Amino acid sequence: MKNFKNLLFVALFFVTATVLGQTKITGTIVDETNQPLPGASVLVKGTTNGTSTDFNGKFSLQAKSNSGVLVVSFIGYKPNEVAFSSSKKNLTIKLQEDAGSLDEIVVVSNSFAIDRKTPVAVSTVKAADIELKLGTQEFPEILKSTPGVYATKSGGGYGDGRINLRGFNSENVAVMINGVPVNDMESGRVFWSNWAGLGDVTSAMQVQRGLGASKVAVPSIGGTINILTKTSDVEEGGNIGYSIANDGYSKYGFTYSTGLMDNGVAVSVSASSTEGRGYVDGTAFKGFNYFVNITKEFNDAHKLSLTAFGAKQQHGQRQNRHLISTFRESDRGRKFNSDWGYKNGQETNSEDNFYHKPQISLNHYWNVSDKTFVSTAAYVSFGTGGGGGYRGVNKFGFDNTDYRIGNLGTINFDKIVDENIALGTNGSESILRASRNDHVWYGVLSTLKTDVTDELTFLTGIDVRGYKGIHFTEVTDLLGGQYYLDNSNKNNPNNQTQVGDKIAYDNDGKVGWFGGFAQLEYSKDNLSGFLSANVSNTSYQRVDRFNYLDSDPEQTSEKFNFIGFGTKGGVNYNLDDNHGIFANLGYFERAPYFNAIFTSFVSNTDTNEDAPNQKITSYELGYTYRAEKLTANVNIYRTEWRDRTETASFQQLDGTNATANILGVSAIHQGVELDFTYRATDKLKITGMASLGDWRWGSNVENVKIFNDAQVEVAEVDLFIKDLHVGDAAQTTFALGTSYKLTPETTFTIDANHFANLYSDFDPSDRGTAGAPDAWKVPSFTLFDTAIRHKFKFGSFDTSIIARVNNVFDTVYISDAQDRGTSSAAEAQVYYGAGRTFSVGAKINF
Amino acid sequence: MKKIFYLFAITAFVFTSCNPLEDVNEEVDALTANDALVDDLVLTLTDEDYTTLELNFGNFSSEEDAKEMLPGFLSAKYPQLGATFLANGDVNQSSSALVTYKLFNKKNDEKSFVNYTVSAADYTAQGLSFPNFSSLNQITAFLDTKYPSAENRLLVDLTYDYYNGTTSTLNNGFINNSGTWEMSIGISDDEYTAMGEGRAQFSSEDEAFVKIPLYLKNKLSFEAPVSGRIEGVMYKLYDSSARVVKSYVAFFIYDGATWTKYNNVINETIKLGHNGVNWVPDNTIKVTLSNADYTLVGNGFFNNFDLRSGKDEETVEQRLAKINTILKNNYPSAVVGQKFAVTYAFYDGSNGNATLNVVLEGSDYVLQ
Repeated sequence: MKNFKNLLFVALFFVTATVLGQTKITGTIVDETNQPLPGASVLVKGTTNGTSTDFNGKFSLQAKSNSGVLVVSFIGYKPNEVAFSSSKKNLTIKLQEDAGSLDEIVVVSNSFAIDRKTPVAVSTVKAADIELKLGTQEFPEILKSTPGVYATKSGGGYGDGRINLRGFNSENVAVMINGVPVNDMESGRVFWSNWAGLGDVTSAMQVQRGLGASKVAVPSIGGTINILTKTSDVEEGGNIGYSIANDGYSKYGFTYSTGLMDNGVAVSVSASSTEGRGYVDGTAFKGFNYFVNITKEFNDAHKLSLTAFGAKQQHGQRQNRHLISTFRESDRGRKFNSDWGYKNGQETNSEDNFYHKPQISLNHYWNVSDKTFVSTAAYVSFGTGGGGGYRGVNKFGFDNTDYRIGNLGTINFDKIVDENIALGTNGSESILRASRNDHVWYGVLSTLKTDVTDELTFLTGIDVRGYKGIHFTEVTDLLGGQYYLDNSNKNNPNNQTQVGDKIAYDNDGKVGWFGGFAQLEYSKDNLSGFLSANVSNTSYQRVDRFNYLDSDPEQTSEKFNFIGFGTKGGVNYNLDDNHGIFANLGYFERAPYFNAIFTSFVSNTDTNEDAPNQKITSYELGYTYRAEKLTANVNIYRTEWRDRTETASFQQLDGTNATANILGVSAIHQGVELDFTYRATDKLKITGMASLGDWRWGSNVENVKIFNDAQVEVAEVDLFIKDLHVGDAAQTTFALGTSYKLTPETTFTIDANHFANLYSDFDPSDRGTAGAPDAWKVPSFTLFDTAIRHKFKFGSFDTSIIARVNNVFDTVYISDAQDRGTSSAAEAQVYYGAGRTFSVGAKINF
Repeated sequence: MKKIFYLFAITAFVFTSCNPLEDVNEEVDALTANDALVDDLVLTLTDEDYTTLELNFGNFSSEEDAKEMLPGFLSAKYPQLGATFLANGDVNQSSSALVTYKLFNKKNDEKSFVNYTVSAADYTAQGLSFPNFSSLNQITAFLDTKYPSAENRLLVDLTYDYYNGTTSTLNNGFINNSGTWEMSIGISDDEYTAMGEGRAQFSSEDEAFVKIPLYLKNKLSFEAPVSGRIEGVMYKLYDSSARVVKSYVAFFIYDGATWTKYNNVINETIKLGHNGVNWVPDNTIKVTLSNADYTLVGNGFFNNFDLRSGKDEETVEQRLAKINTILKNNYPSAVVGQKFAVTYAFYDGSNGNATLNVVLEGSDYVLQ
């Protein structure tokens, strides 16, 4: 109270002092999306007279002259200078985002969309939201409140999360980190465990649905997820953080930046270590994440930036789904996991995963002239890791009571060990192995951007990648036996293998990629548009060291080449400051994946080199609304996926296998997406989203006759898929969230997410019987999350504490299901989603 | 502001008061509602069990009685056991019980009423060319002729010549068991001597019952008798009051190691299975396919059946065909009517196990 009196006194003093003052300036500072910017600084140029904006981005300032210039600045935005006078003293000042080097990455990646300019449907999640809401969730789950997204923890292991975009799985969702595509080169899939911990160093994550803004050939059907990591901070400083959460989770980490030093070098380092037992039984994990960025500015023209990041992790998995009745029978309920037990008192997993995939990139930025800019990223990634499982006699089945401790109990590893010991010189009959999937990946991505005229910009670039996937199985635990007899290697038959030795298979998948792209961008006043084209050649080659003798030239296969191409264009028109409309349209053909070419596990010659391209047509119409309190986006889309890879294999007269390509398997994904942010008051922000999809398989493929060399019909293929709903992702999603500032330092959020029309996953290639019903529809569910952040001074340090609760009401729900048999609840194999979980973390900045 | 929080609270309440999986749980639980635990019992009835069965003598009078009484007994003693069902109501997996019980099988000890030595004329009268018998049939034919109206349980102490390579004189007992002559081993003079007897007789019944088991063990050891074999032995005692030597027959049972005096009860086993409602006599053999079995039918790589559409074991018929191959290989001598419950591993996108219940009809196994 006394303070308040003092404050009042001081205020009165100012009022008195400014009686002689000339001009009172008021105004609002907003960002490009017309969102108010709280805490922006406002300064009368050439003076020390300044203030900062309140939560609504509003300020008021007494200037000592009748006219002058205001300098407005805010971290992460370009400073803006605006003239004021006694007649122009109520201002709305817009700041443009400027993440410094972030901007350069945007250029390299050619992938970040700009609001009210890039004509695509987009949602962006910034670092602050990630920090507040991610907690112990899987990284892609941070996107669950954006339209078109369905993200789950899958089995619940650390890093086992998945995301589907507009109903397409990860094969069809491009993920780019700092503009570098990271989808697996052979399968197109994304393994989020490779990027566990990336959330710590992400500055922004943007989901572009549909065609996306990327210029490089990332032929994704569902959309593109762009992740921008932090770069070196300009100012020196850092933080240390510690979090704890349910099931023994603990995480500690630090970040430190040198700031820009006199020699033009800035270094940022971040590292954290995470471990826990996992919400699901038998999913204990350990992870270590690191991030290093070194940036050096040589002069105005040249700048180099080296970024290295990675996450080394090991975690137990829940690989096997189970019937609902099995979960209900188990006294562990939704936490039930059949894939683990104890060996000699130690938790041991029959299914686990370990990976380390550092990615190192060197970026060069070159201002050739005022109008021309070249950016180049050279990157390399070395992945080692794999997934564990068993080999030999299967003693690991969840219902194999001989090797379970109690009904639906843990695996009796000790008994398996005793049996292997008893086998003596005969060797182990059941062992643990890892299916390794190492790789080496090099790439260069270079873009030239030049302003042809004030309105017209031309971009062109190349995208070269070389990839070698090294696939083999290795013995990881003999489980007590003396050795494991493996007879898979023609070069080493009857091999008595030990831990670390290769068994079962050993082969390489070599993928080469050469792509080029060009784009014209037009931007004048309220109109912007682009037209782009890309073309790429993909080559596949296979080396098989087990099924071919070292002396056999066929150990290395022929190299097969496939050309993919794409073209897209779009227009955005801003009707006025509030309303904008956009449209985009694209067509591309995507080369088939590695497995579509090399259809056999064991052959370099049973190939399907005639596999056709998949063909995708997509269009989208959108409307954007930007106002002080409300921003909203609405769009409709339609994506046609034709000639999805579909093959049938059969035997030729000479006994070799051949593959027939079946054309005509198609899917149509269409829908409406809406999202909004409403700033009701200074303190209250409401966000919402509705996404209504209609994703179905196309027409039936019937009576496709397959002929052998002698033109004799050997098979007839039927696929009855017409109008079946696409499974594995909720077609209808709603989200409603509130963020309320209890005090200027304390933010409280509640988020509700509703998921409906989720059909079980099924393989359309398996729908060979007419009249089969839709896959089993998973019951819809609603989940509530909440978080609170409080900032305070801890001594002289800025400190924040964040507490989160996910699934506040402990709702029991099924997040993932696989269709079987009669397409009913009784036969579906499922994963349950996690129940209520919590995390609490503190961070001290210095 | 308050309104919004209230709104949220109400929304939250509405959403959470309904459990998303309520209907699914009901549906799934209904499918297993009739499921009982499945176990494979192996048991031997105890004295208390016979008491429970109200069998005061501690045994069953006949196999029929056992078949009739055991199902109810098992249901009462193991109420938790039964079968599991498929969605269509068919039995998926069922319990089994291998029950060992005592069966009353009376063998009366006898003493002889008739002593007879076959004469040369008797052989001739039977139309035999030589003055001896050479098969059991000839002996029983003779006895039928000699004692056409023999009363039941008549014991004939018969001395006769028998040709089996060489001719020897034998002395064995024959009991008329409801019209059938059953032979009991007679002890020869030499054998009595070997047992330390001065004469071809025992001094007392006690002595007889001590020595005969040892005698049988010696005499039959090279025949490799099977456990449960019952032998009648005719032995002789001197009746001091009547001052005559009398013949007696006593029965002895082999337990796999020794012979003991037979107490009119034999051990029998019966297999029962649970049909989902009751226990019924059932010979079903439960098998789980091994890696060798999968290899036999070309499924050795993954050691399971692939049930996905278009794959080799998608249909039940395809699986049955492969199971036919496996069972015929593993059980070449199975007889018609033999049932199997075959548990196999499958892959249909996920790994699992299922059971196919089959029975041998004609030359093929068909679904039960």
